[in-house]
Amino acid sequence: MWLKILGSLLVIIASVSLGFMLAAQYAERPRQIRQIISCLSALKSHINYTAIPLPAALVQSTGGITGPIAELFQAMASLLADNGLTPQAALNQALKDSNKLVLHNPEREVLSVFSANLGGMNREEQHKSLDLAQEQLSRIQYEAERLCEQNVKMYRYLGICGGLAVVIVLV
Amino acid sequence: MMGLDILFKIAGVGILISVFHTALKQAGKEDMAHLCTLAGFAMVLLWVVQLLGRLFNTVQDVFKLF
Repeated sequence: MWLKILGSLLVIIASVSLGFMLAAQYAERPRQIRQIISCLSALKSHINYTAIPLPAALVQSTGGITGPIAELFQAMASLLADNGLTPQAALNQALKDSNKLVLHNPEREVLSVFSANLGGMNREEQHKSLDLAQEQLSRIQYEAERLCEQNVKMYRYLGICGGLAVVIVLV
Repeated sequence: MMGLDILFKIAGVGILISVFHTALKQAGKEDMAHLCTLAGFAMVLLWVVQLLGRLFNTVQDVFKLF
């Protein structure tokens, strides 16, 4: 009897935590996109007004931000400075190395396109490409927030009810 | 005694499936909601068919039908 109760509790705890983990992933994605947008706007001013080298600008643009996005930009800066990669290769490498990012394909594509134009043109053109990337990212962010609103509640409910259903079927 | 047990089980599954259906429908996944309901229905049907089989066996035994 006690063994059954213990097992049921374990099953319920596992499924609830699974549901909450999936929900947290959906809640995390708009936050990371928002952080990327704020990093890009800081980067834009570092390119346009301070005109410092790209690795330093990347590191400075993460000021005030913590978490995977700051780590991504810092990793990209150190790859640029140490290994002499092109910005696009550095960003792709940094994206591949980081395992805490929950970014999907559209925003990865936008970042890849933006990094291909980074450092290869004069200020006005870079300004334009950064503007374009920001605009695209804010559209993606809007979409991600809509998905988040829908899915967070659903995954929590499904986690709890799924655990209860498994317990009922097994007991 | 066994019948009462399975009755409560079926009731529990029914309640949970209705919650599943509502949650999935709210998230805009009507197709998944219907699939979920169908899965619950199939599961309960499996239990009920077993019970019905037992009932028929009992009837056969009682009236000596072979």
